[in-house]
Amino acid sequence: MAKTKNKKVSSDQIHKKKEQLHLKKSMNPFEVHINKEKLKVIGKKQKNDRGLPGVSRAKALEKRKHTLLKEYKVQDKSNKFTDKRIGERNHKLTSEDKVMARFTAVRVKAHNKKSKFNLADDVVLTHRGQTLSEIEKFDDPRSDEDSLDEDESGKLDRDFVKEAHFGGGMLKKTGVEGAKSHKDLIDQLIAESKKRKAEKQKTKEATLELTEKLDSEWKDLIPLVNQKSKNDPDDVEKPQLDDYDKVMRELKFEARGTVSDRLKTEDEVAKEEKARLEKLENDRLERMQGYIDAKNPKQTHRSADDLDDDFIHDDDPEPDYTLSYDNEGKSTLQIEASVNGKPLTEAESSADEDNSIDEESEADSEDNLSDLKADSSDSESEEESKIEDNKTEESPVDLIGETKEDLQMEIKNDLLQRKEIMEKARQELPFTFHLPDSYETLLKELESQSCSHQCVIIERMIKCNHPSLAESNKENLGLLFAYLLQYFNDLFTDSSKVETIQDSFDIFKALVPQIYQLAQLNPENAHNSVLEVIKEKHEDYRKKPGIYPGLEVLVFLKLVSILFPTSDFRHQIVTPCFVFMEQMLNKCRVRNRRDISYGLFLCTLVLEYTTISQRYLPGVINFLAGLLHMAIPKTGVKLVKVPPPFKSTSTLLVLLENLSLSFSDSSEKCFQMKNTDLLSTEIDEEFKVRALHTAIGLSEEFYRHFEKLPSNVEIFSPIQKYLELVPALNYPRKVANGMENLSNCLNKTKSERILNYIVMEATRPKALRLYEPKIEPVYDGKRFKVQSREKREQSKLLHKLKSEKKGALREIRRDKAFLGRVKINQRIQSDKERIEKVKRIYAEASMQQSELNELDRKKKRKK
Amino acid sequence: MAHQQEKPLKISKQLRSKAHEFLTSRRNADSLMNIINHFDAGEDLPSCLLTLEMIFTSLLKERHMFIEIVPLKPVEKTEENQFKTWLRNVYEECFTKILQCLEHSSQKVQMQGLATAMNILSHEGRFPLESKGSFDNYVPLMKLKSVLMKLLSNKQNNMQLINKYTEYLLFDDVLFFTWKILPSLTAKSNPNEVYIMNYLILLEKLNVYQNAETKFLCGSGNVSGAFFTFDENIIKKFLNKIWHCVMHWEHTPDTHKQVLIVLLEKVLCHLEKPLLLTDFLMDSLDVGGAVSLLALQGIFTMIQVHNLDYPNLFAKLYSMFEPEIFHTKYKARLFHLSDLFLSSTHLPETLVAAFAKRMARLALVAPSEDVIILCNFIGNLILRHPGLKCLLNNPGCAAASTDPYIMEERDPLKSNAIISSLWELQTLQNHVIPSVAVAARFINTPLPSVEWDLGQILENTGDDIFDKEVKKFSKLIVLQFEKPVGASIGKGERVMQYWNL
Repeated sequence: MAKTKNKKVSSDQIHKKKEQLHLKKSMNPFEVHINKEKLKVIGKKQKNDRGLPGVSRAKALEKRKHTLLKEYKVQDKSNKFTDKRIGERNHKLTSEDKVMARFTAVRVKAHNKKSKFNLADDVVLTHRGQTLSEIEKFDDPRSDEDSLDEDESGKLDRDFVKEAHFGGGMLKKTGVEGAKSHKDLIDQLIAESKKRKAEKQKTKEATLELTEKLDSEWKDLIPLVNQKSKNDPDDVEKPQLDDYDKVMRELKFEARGTVSDRLKTEDEVAKEEKARLEKLENDRLERMQGYIDAKNPKQTHRSADDLDDDFIHDDDPEPDYTLSYDNEGKSTLQIEASVNGKPLTEAESSADEDNSIDEESEADSEDNLSDLKADSSDSESEEESKIEDNKTEESPVDLIGETKEDLQMEIKNDLLQRKEIMEKARQELPFTFHLPDSYETLLKELESQSCSHQCVIIERMIKCNHPSLAESNKENLGLLFAYLLQYFNDLFTDSSKVETIQDSFDIFKALVPQIYQLAQLNPENAHNSVLEVIKEKHEDYRKKPGIYPGLEVLVFLKLVSILFPTSDFRHQIVTPCFVFMEQMLNKCRVRNRRDISYGLFLCTLVLEYTTISQRYLPGVINFLAGLLHMAIPKTGVKLVKVPPPFKSTSTLLVLLENLSLSFSDSSEKCFQMKNTDLLSTEIDEEFKVRALHTAIGLSEEFYRHFEKLPSNVEIFSPIQKYLELVPALNYPRKVANGMENLSNCLNKTKSERILNYIVMEATRPKALRLYEPKIEPVYDGKRFKVQSREKREQSKLLHKLKSEKKGALREIRRDKAFLGRVKINQRIQSDKERIEKVKRIYAEASMQQSELNELDRKKKRKK
Repeated sequence: MAHQQEKPLKISKQLRSKAHEFLTSRRNADSLMNIINHFDAGEDLPSCLLTLEMIFTSLLKERHMFIEIVPLKPVEKTEENQFKTWLRNVYEECFTKILQCLEHSSQKVQMQGLATAMNILSHEGRFPLESKGSFDNYVPLMKLKSVLMKLLSNKQNNMQLINKYTEYLLFDDVLFFTWKILPSLTAKSNPNEVYIMNYLILLEKLNVYQNAETKFLCGSGNVSGAFFTFDENIIKKFLNKIWHCVMHWEHTPDTHKQVLIVLLEKVLCHLEKPLLLTDFLMDSLDVGGAVSLLALQGIFTMIQVHNLDYPNLFAKLYSMFEPEIFHTKYKARLFHLSDLFLSSTHLPETLVAAFAKRMARLALVAPSEDVIILCNFIGNLILRHPGLKCLLNNPGCAAASTDPYIMEERDPLKSNAIISSLWELQTLQNHVIPSVAVAARFINTPLPSVEWDLGQILENTGDDIFDKEVKKFSKLIVLQFEKPVGASIGKGERVMQYWNL
């Protein structure tokens, strides 16, 4: 019933819609109400310029009928009939839509949580625990035969059926003399079918047996067959295998490589390495400038109107610092090529290196630690190349160029020898070492080992406990680093004897690469431990600021220059070291050979620290000048003044004899300072020459560093002054030459220097401040109160509330009116009915009365 | 070991028990003599001193040595009085012996001797041996004088003892009477150096003014002021008298310095005729080094307070800026003083420029901490004298070949500094220590409106810079990227080049 009604409604709706569309097209002009506008604005689209009061009222009524009226009807009723069918209450849906919706609902229901585990959609029929579909697969071959024999086996004979079921009976009986009764016939029938079944069973079993037997025999035969097939090809096919097959098969079974980046060619590797080094170098230069370059403070903001009219803006503040790895690397390589006499490109040389590595690794292929070797040999070949670099770089300093080259050759030879020794050490030592768990164990491990052995031990410790192998290794290697520092400390504090110092330095030199590697593995730890050591040493030094501390300080300072970039503008370790060195140079008294050598070592270290940054430390120049002053013979009354810590009467380095003809070999080596100088206190003539030579060499290098500084002449004026007073004739030719050279250089710069007056950087004139134009919104007649945001929000809300309230009241009023109308209609309806009823009753009663009256009249008439 | 330790313990116990014996009964006078003999023997001096101190203070407290003196009446010769006079003799004897401990070689004994002497002295003051007039208390002047004589010895440097004595100078009576006695102890002719040092050290410790907290060593608090009045004018009179003598002594360099220090810190403002010192200061100015610096400070005070006019002052100051100053102790004072002298804005610009230029030159050889001071100093000078900006900004001039400034010129006005430029600061921007380089960068940027505060950095040392740099925490940990070859770094290796290690 409801369904049909619904259908009707839906069709009605469509009809209505159509009607409405129709209606809209031809609107009754009398129904349109036009809202009058006070001010007309051209081009303004108005929503509410016209309304259809009739239409909208009808709409509202309709809506009420569906909502309010229904509620009214079920008012005061406890029971309610709700139609829960899908789409039943939705008037917009067509019947087809409804059907669709219901269907989808069913499907969805099938896929809900509970029914998810139902394997089939429908109830699955089974037979003996097997689904019918399974049975229908017909995998039993015997069933095929069965089906073929079906008519024979399962059913009765055709004749029999013909006879027994049809056509027989009484008629037949009479014809075949009626030998058997009907009952016999049935019995015979049953027996026959049983017999047939039994036969069938029998044959079935027989075939089954046969197949099984065949199976088992087949199984027995299988190995035979297989063996034969295996043996046969071996004999026959082997010679037939040609290369192609082989290759093909190999290719087929080759482990497929996963997709990865293409292997880089040597060129590319070299290029990448170069790029990496360049980047590092650039970083270093940046740090050298200090992070914030106060020279040109960064422009924080530049407006778009900035025209940069009359100011020179050098965006690239570092054109001077074109010193980069790139240039140098190239140039050194070129020079290298000329040295070798063969044109060598970079790639080739690296290729050579690689080859050598390969060869070595192949040669030691039985060694399970070949990778270690390859690595170290790599580093050694690098060593060589680097030394060559050194050589070529130094060669422009053409004063003592040749001898320097000799020296480099010597060093090279030395390194080669050392390499051999290392090789030997590698073979003698066990391959694995455990990390020491305390300093004592490390000492025990390194005790009574030669320096090369120690080097290998540490190297293997690092390799065997690489941080990538276990998590705790990183910390342990950090400990190893600290132990090694401690080891150095003890080594050099103890070695106050001349005999042991060479060993100590040998060990130091051997262990430096390992320590460097350790530092690279755990930078934070290295950083912290070195800092602690420096702090501790400085603390010790503070107690006796006038005396040079022990040798270990020098070693640690050297280590700093190996581990950390000393060119940084500010570095947490290097800067304190600079302060430390400066203090020592400024304060420590210079009284004997050890003090002089110590100071010279410090000067060399400062030189090394500042080779790249070329920065200035007054204490060094002061010290070098003081040494020169020491070499001036003090004659008579006139004293040459010298700033502390030197004394103006000191004559420690004055030569007592004329040594101009000794030092005949004049090789660089005999002018080098010796490690024993750092210990002994007596000054001999040879030492005097060496010290002066070194001082002059260092001064020269410093001079080259500071050549660009505007007050270089002032810086070197004490050195120049003292240099003239040193009797050059007494010294060997080489030293005298060096002195002459230096003083020539100094004189030259003094006369040729160009001092540009300092000019402050023109400051940008401050631009007048530009104000944004004040743009006001177009005047729209309305006045907005200026008030705070919260208040504005609140007043907005209040306004909305008011209007909503109004609207709601209006709606309620209309509802009431609607209900009133409904009620009065009901009342009118019921009244009408009642009146009609009364009328009808009256009519009936009057009819009766009239009939009765008529009867009465008749009676009266009869009477 | 243990035995040796026990021994002194035992002896002090023995001594103490003997002292108790003596104090309980007079008949045990032998035990007192025993103690004194032990003291004479020169063993266990500290414990002996303590015991004697205990004995005599308690004797004084109990007034066992008090002899009533009735005027115009001889003292009765009772047995009691005889004992008392004997006791007093012993007491005086012992006191001199105690004072002799002040010359003992051991510092501990010296200290203990002084403490004992002062303690006995205070008890005597509180419980006098004789009634003197109307006062209940008095300061035993003779004893105090002998103590002071020991302090102002001409044999040994009594620095420690005098430091200890300053503790007693907190008592107003001791301070006052020290001043009173001092003129009589001042040597008229030339004393030796040790005496002068001791004297000057003591003088440095003496306050002219009353102590903030009124305390008396001899006498209880409630009778304060009864037996003397602390008069600063009298003290100033004493001071003038003393100083008159001091000025006429012959001074060695050390004492000269000390005289100047005392003069500047204590005396100068209390002298009646300070202008009389001018000659002395002028002479000192020519001595050189720290002495002349101190003299300079004296002259500065004279100029400031007493209207002295000294023409060549700035040349003197200028001549003090030598490379050697950085290794002296008084450099902070020099910087401070020159900051004061040059604080006037009415000085000629050529003069100030000379100073600025000289400081810049010195900064080229100075230790880092001083370079920072010098840089800020020069900055301050330029701030005070805007005319000096030409040292930083001189766009008109063509390039020079030599610096027009003449370092050797003694007269700052003739040094041509004003036509020079501060290239030294430009050089120092390449200093190794970052804080120095930063300090020298001020010439690149517009000058600040407020001067640098020199007071904070004047006392900085290299250690301070070290600490600061060590504490500067940066997260960035940078390592050398070039692999070392043997013990040498790749490119910049220098150590292996010059050293055959």
